[in-house]
Amino acid sequence: MALSLVPCGQFKTTYASDTTLFATPLSRNLVIAGVILLALVPLKIGGVAPVSDYVIALLIQIGYLGIAALGLNILVGFTGQISLGHSAFFGFGAFASAWLGNTFGIPVFFTIPLAGILTTAVGMIVGIPAARIKGLYLAIATLASQFILQDFFARAEWFTGGSSGSIAEPFSLFGLTLAGDRQYFYVVLAYVVIMYLFASNMLRTRDGRALVAVRDHYLSAEVMGINLTKYRILSFGISSFYAGVGGALFAHYLQYVSIEGFDILLSIQFLAMIIIGGLGSVMGSLLGTIFMVLLPEVMEALIGALQSTSWGNVPAVTDGLAYLKEAAIGLAIVLFLIFEPDGLAHRWRLIKAYWKLYPFSF
Amino acid sequence: MKLLKLGAVTAAAAATLALSQPAPAADGIPVANLVDFTGRTATVGKPYGQAKVDAVKWLNAKGGINGKPIDLSTFDYSYEVPRAINTYKQWKQEGVVAIQGWGTADTEALVSFVGADEIPFFSASYSAHLTDPTGKGPAGSKAAPYNFIMGPSYSDSVRALIAWAKEDWQRKGGKGQPKYVHMGDNHPYPNAPKKAGEEYAKEQGFTVLPSIQYTLAPGDFKAQCLTLKESGANYAFLANTSGANISLLKSCETVGVDVQFLSNIWGYDENVMKAAGKAADGVVWVMGSAPWGADVPGIKLVHEIAKNADPAVTYQLPHYVRGVCSFYFMKEAMEWADKNGGITGPNVKKGMYQKKDWVPAGLEGVCPKGNWTAEDHRGFTQVLLYQGKVKADAPADADIAKLIADGTIGMTQVFAIDIERKPEWLGW
Repeated sequence: MALSLVPCGQFKTTYASDTTLFATPLSRNLVIAGVILLALVPLKIGGVAPVSDYVIALLIQIGYLGIAALGLNILVGFTGQISLGHSAFFGFGAFASAWLGNTFGIPVFFTIPLAGILTTAVGMIVGIPAARIKGLYLAIATLASQFILQDFFARAEWFTGGSSGSIAEPFSLFGLTLAGDRQYFYVVLAYVVIMYLFASNMLRTRDGRALVAVRDHYLSAEVMGINLTKYRILSFGISSFYAGVGGALFAHYLQYVSIEGFDILLSIQFLAMIIIGGLGSVMGSLLGTIFMVLLPEVMEALIGALQSTSWGNVPAVTDGLAYLKEAAIGLAIVLFLIFEPDGLAHRWRLIKAYWKLYPFSF
Repeated sequence: MKLLKLGAVTAAAAATLALSQPAPAADGIPVANLVDFTGRTATVGKPYGQAKVDAVKWLNAKGGINGKPIDLSTFDYSYEVPRAINTYKQWKQEGVVAIQGWGTADTEALVSFVGADEIPFFSASYSAHLTDPTGKGPAGSKAAPYNFIMGPSYSDSVRALIAWAKEDWQRKGGKGQPKYVHMGDNHPYPNAPKKAGEEYAKEQGFTVLPSIQYTLAPGDFKAQCLTLKESGANYAFLANTSGANISLLKSCETVGVDVQFLSNIWGYDENVMKAAGKAADGVVWVMGSAPWGADVPGIKLVHEIAKNADPAVTYQLPHYVRGVCSFYFMKEAMEWADKNGGITGPNVKKGMYQKKDWVPAGLEGVCPKGNWTAEDHRGFTQVLLYQGKVKADAPADADIAKLIADGTIGMTQVFAIDIERKPEWLGW
């Protein structure tokens, strides 16, 4: 009752109220409060920072990866396509933003969205095969794009600096340069809020519903008059835009872009994020990213704790720990596929439902 | 609602992490040590990085820098540049005064950062691009005022190898132009001396063949070896590190390549002789210090440092010895800085310029003589070339010290050259 303030039953009389972003004013206010709370995180009180730089760095990482993961979720979770080349678009966005800044002197404030647009163009070209093929064949086609782009990064010295990589300017706004992670945090936070709101809204529109229709049954969608080619390629474009913006944020966070790191492994990690978070869920993309970013950190802490014990600090254990850490990520994906195929978003819905009906769960 | 919950979860996770992080040590001199223990260059990264850890253990037991202990923070970045840069940012916030670095890709990426933050960076990358402190080099190099390379530059090394190859060609009575080929990954480290080497080879009358690419990560390189065989090259320069070279030498033996291999400083050592066996026989490579078994006064200190850390140690590779040298050059600069205004980045940098043709105290005969000025960071110009001799394949668990003692593997110095500090070669 008072816990959720959602009426018991369906009393909606308009389509608008059925597709509203927030079910109740309370949930909307809580989200706003959450964003405000996050905005307070980097502040220093009397010269002392209550939240360490390390946590800020993790939050920024969750931010830019979360934006890219959402892009992949729009493609895979909402449109039912597949991409094994997402990290290449992420990388393209990073290089494009650095290149626009270094070559044309465009301020970073503008290069980030421009990099997104350039990546969209590349993504739509790569998406063309999706008009004809699907499933495994599409997976292989996108895999090809991953390798083609990676090779392009290594060779196009004018664009990427070749194997030496390129320097990305720090974020600046009207001559004011942001110094340090604590200030850059706000840039990432703003982009996360804008990009997630945009995605949530987009999926309520005619075009957004068309994407879902393509996923659910492409034949029916076509019979209903949805242009499959258009929406499949559009989905690749939107997905690439998100990857490009995420990559650009990454570039200006690190202030250096290397041709390494945008490999197939990162593409698989993006897929893992949305599988763990929940395919076809906007919030799931963020939950999955948080999980994937924190998992190695938690494993590191556990291993540190193990090494500080007398029985754990023997070579037989410590030598194996590095592998254990890698194995844990694989194990997490397998366990999620078995026990929680709908991802963290589903678990979250269950928790909400439990409390909504508490204490009478029938 | 969702975001709020999210915030709570994140905060909880953050709290766990904050608790699990070790508290920073008090009042030591903060020095950072960037190492590759698990990445593609780990075969040489491990002894080099370990040497710093051992040197600090030894130094702190002897009173540190003028009585102040060193607080060494070691991080294994697995040869991944983004991880190195992330860690650098953390170190900067912790206020490290100097960094002992590793790879070319990360060092070159960090040049402008360390320059702006005034943190001396002693790299194991000897890329010639890092030797130009003012950025006035005619080859268009970037200014690297806070970078110190702790060995002969890769470009100078390859020039020395080519000079030896030229003599070797005449000695063997070779007819016509010898053919030279550069082999390596498309990566900043193998690429660093590529152009300088090819240009110098042309000057010296070699025919330069198109370069052959093989990865830094060990693999099956028979295809590359076939290309090498068909190219008819006489001298092949291996620009990768030892792990990849073990695979390459073995693959080329299988294919039946008859080429004189030349290797960069990180590409060959006693470990390669042991692992690749007869395939590694006769390779000529660059040494940047005296080997473990050398009969020089300073080697005693290296032995003591290694035995202090691990009493069971019987042998350490030259990379370990160079690691000790790198740390001790920095240590002397810090001692000077301590007496002249305190140990800060700019003072440590000034400390490097105080002496001419110097060797750290206690390491005489081990480290080459260094000479740095504010306009020229080509610290070492002498390049020593050694040739490996392998009589038989050794079992995988064999002890290197024993293999050397019984003559299964061995090495002899074949060439020594002082590369001129030509102004047009600065930063290139």
